[in-house]
Amino acid sequence: MRTSLTKMFAITATTALLAAGCATGTGVEAESSDVGEVAADTSATVRILMEAVPDTDIVQGLIADFNAEYPDITIEIESLAFDQMRDKLIASFQSSDPTYDLIVADNPWMDDFAPAGFLAPLDDRIANTPGLDHEDFFGPLREIAEVDGVTYGVPFYNYALGYLYNEPLLTGAGLSVPTSLDELVTTSKALTSGDQTGLAMQPQRGYKIFEEWANFLFAAGGSIYNEDGSGALDSPEAQAALEAYIDLYNTAAPENSLNWAFDEAFRSVSTGASAAMVSYNWNLPALNSPDAGEFAGNFKLAPMPGGKQVLGSWTWAIPSNSASSDAAWAFVSWLTSKEVDVSRVIAGGAAIRESTLQDERVLAEGFGADYYDAIIAILSNAAPLSEGAGGEEMIQAVGTELSEAVAGTKSVEDALKDANDAINSIQG
Amino acid sequence: MRAQGMMRGVRGIFLITALVVVGFPLVWVTLASFKTPAQLNDPSLIMFSPSLTNWAYVVEEGILQAAGRSALVAFITVAISAIAGSAAAYVISSYKAGGTATRFGILAAQVLPPAVLVFPFLTLAYVTQVNDTLIPLIFAHLSFVLPVVTWFLIGFFDSVPRSLEEQARVDGFSRFKAFLLVVLPQVYPGLGAAIIFGFTLSWNDMFYGLILTPTKSAILPVAIAGFNTFRGVELGSMSAAILVAVIPVLIASFFIQKRLVQGISGGAVKY
Amino acid sequence: MLLPLLVVAGIAVGLPLVYAFYLSLTDFSLTQQGVAQIVGADNYIASLTNEGLWGAIGTTFTYVIIAVSFETVIGLLIALSLQKQKWARDITRAMLLAPMFITPIAVGLTFRFLLNDQLGAIPYLLKSLGTNYDFLGSGKALFTLAMIDVWQWTPFMVLLLLAGLESIPKQPLEAARVDGANAVYIFRRITLPLLTPILSVAVLLRSLDALKVFEYVYATTRGGPGTETETIQYFTYQTGIQFFRLGEASSMAFILLLIVLPLIVFLFRRIDRRTSS
Repeated sequence: MRTSLTKMFAITATTALLAAGCATGTGVEAESSDVGEVAADTSATVRILMEAVPDTDIVQGLIADFNAEYPDITIEIESLAFDQMRDKLIASFQSSDPTYDLIVADNPWMDDFAPAGFLAPLDDRIANTPGLDHEDFFGPLREIAEVDGVTYGVPFYNYALGYLYNEPLLTGAGLSVPTSLDELVTTSKALTSGDQTGLAMQPQRGYKIFEEWANFLFAAGGSIYNEDGSGALDSPEAQAALEAYIDLYNTAAPENSLNWAFDEAFRSVSTGASAAMVSYNWNLPALNSPDAGEFAGNFKLAPMPGGKQVLGSWTWAIPSNSASSDAAWAFVSWLTSKEVDVSRVIAGGAAIRESTLQDERVLAEGFGADYYDAIIAILSNAAPLSEGAGGEEMIQAVGTELSEAVAGTKSVEDALKDANDAINSIQG
Repeated sequence: MRAQGMMRGVRGIFLITALVVVGFPLVWVTLASFKTPAQLNDPSLIMFSPSLTNWAYVVEEGILQAAGRSALVAFITVAISAIAGSAAAYVISSYKAGGTATRFGILAAQVLPPAVLVFPFLTLAYVTQVNDTLIPLIFAHLSFVLPVVTWFLIGFFDSVPRSLEEQARVDGFSRFKAFLLVVLPQVYPGLGAAIIFGFTLSWNDMFYGLILTPTKSAILPVAIAGFNTFRGVELGSMSAAILVAVIPVLIASFFIQKRLVQGISGGAVKY
Repeated sequence: MLLPLLVVAGIAVGLPLVYAFYLSLTDFSLTQQGVAQIVGADNYIASLTNEGLWGAIGTTFTYVIIAVSFETVIGLLIALSLQKQKWARDITRAMLLAPMFITPIAVGLTFRFLLNDQLGAIPYLLKSLGTNYDFLGSGKALFTLAMIDVWQWTPFMVLLLLAGLESIPKQPLEAARVDGANAVYIFRRITLPLLTPILSVAVLLRSLDALKVFEYVYATTRGGPGTETETIQYFTYQTGIQFFRLGEASSMAFILLLIVLPLIVFLFRRIDRRTSS
């Protein structure tokens, strides 16, 4: 028995190591193609992995129109929740036999995926696609798609944050939309009485709390990074912002909501239990949609108090191991073209082009001119949470420190200092 | 006598409390599956006109196929585990084969977080070109079902008297036949118990199921987790999906639990 | 006859294990180009000096001890009650098993909403009774998660312990009762010792499973507030898959293995010695 066990172990070990040898490391060189205009008779299948968000549904609705122009390109979209999607995406990059030909990448990943060679550079393609008008995309979104001077993607949709509020509740209390951090604090407190709270906050540890608090940081005049890329969280502005955030959590946020994320806050606002929340600009239609509850139609969007907000952005990118990169580019360039973008935004898609938000049809058939004005204001002054490699890790580290501060297990000074140290050690 | 009556009362109250605690979330889930999104935000809503939208949506989204796939993977996993596990358990129990190393070594995969093992499984799947099937998932499930089943059965085989097997050998059975026809039947009830637990473990796995299954063939827990979308958890649909997952197993367990309990009691579990 | 097990286990357990071990010795990252370089014990040293890992280990061990203790005690009480039950036996037993059959992520999400202060049925009931409890707040979150575990897995204990109880030979119990011993004495001196073998297997299997808690954390708190509910699985998931450092995550897993496996072997040897005496 013992000898056969040893033999089995030896065989197992060797096989595993052989497999390891064959499989680790993709080492695929990112080829740069310069094909911009793709022939209309191209025949291919494009497998796309996307996140299950409203914008994905809208894209799916536009496939039929795409096929009118490119009848032989089959588009297959797989739509998953965020974490599941990320896990499958990584798995696909790791294999030599790719699962997807076109993907969407979240902004923190761009700085990790591009240097890893996962994404194909697109500068030449963009240059050779007349009518794409790359400059028309909002600046912050274009910057996110650019890593080390090379463009790896084209914007898909933005998720910049804004202040979503219940207008009758605000005006009924004689208040106006807050335009500074102090006003945000006083307004939220003033709206807290009885069963109603002034601000449905999302202090869940990790990504959510950082995403929400960073808006407070900007409103206080602070920033996440210094000019030289080092962390700027050890500033007095950061301190003021965190103190204001904690103050609001203790006085104007729903009770026992320390683990709240988007879902809870959204429900709180749409049932009227809270007067406002900080959330993605394209959630406004969802709050106002007829089957959302009795307060549908009351909600409005305003830029964050202070005028600068956190930005997130999803970017179309072509994996370097894509099996049909030309067809993928055909789809992307078609979808993000000015004409199609107008239809997309009218259907409720989040904005990526400046020209679209000024288009007559959008203003007439969409969700109202003041909604689009607010979005223009938001997108002209927005910054992402992380820049540089190791984005996810930095976000999680800062998010943990912030959570400690709000929970009261660390002082504001210590939390910010540790958060800043984390930024420097992870991304320095 | 009075003390006995009081004990019965206490027991009764205790059991009813347990049923309430167990049942409360389940009742909530059942109600939720019939509610509209707006109704779900009201914690006090018990009487309402039920809507079947969630159920229709869930079936449309392929929950039944996902359940079918989960069942297939679970059956295969459990079948392999039962066969390999019973043979091994018998040998380990009777002849102390493999020693401590085998008995505790197979527990190793139980301890390691799936997050760490999933990429090795994935790579092995690609290397052997089976990544587009359910085979990698079956092996991943085997990694934690096989040890559990084997552990159970070692205990059961331990309680079967050696004399039984010796008698069979004397009667002319080969060692294998003695095992198959005489000893194994003694532990059938225990085998049934192990099978149920193994099935549950495989049925509930989400992590391996997410990474190791081909794109269009999600298994049930992955489908359920898919209702946790960016625009929030689709509580109504998820509740319907949960019930689709639970009710069949619950009904099966109603019929099997008698045999199950008797099963484990059929041989006091030692290790 | 051991062969089928060895073959299957070799593929299903052995191969991934060896591969994962190999990874733990490299600087493998999910976003790297080229083949991973062997870095020897670097990952292990980094992990051993990682405060976060030890914090996660402590948190998880606390969780396991709380959850499994409650499950064992409550499970035993329920099993004792069920044993003597006369009415609606099968339905009660089937119903009490139900929580086991729900995939853990769904249990986590369901409780996330049941415990929600504004939308959840449980705080609603508490408020109508005049009290208030911050289930997922600081200092309370880990305990709440352990209670979710108790809700889902006590049935497992009930099942095993009930069977154990019903397999105890009736004779010693009868003899003791005839001799005039009261219920508590019988339980302590006769029932419990005879139940120990089953009890230990149940506690072992349940504890190993509880060590891997991930879905409850993921569904509700994401490891917060602060790092209060950051369990080992969550920590390694973040390191390996969110931050892409899979080599390092593998080393963490093996460190855990080196702690847990000897512990199990040691405990079982002790119980073995005690019962055979």
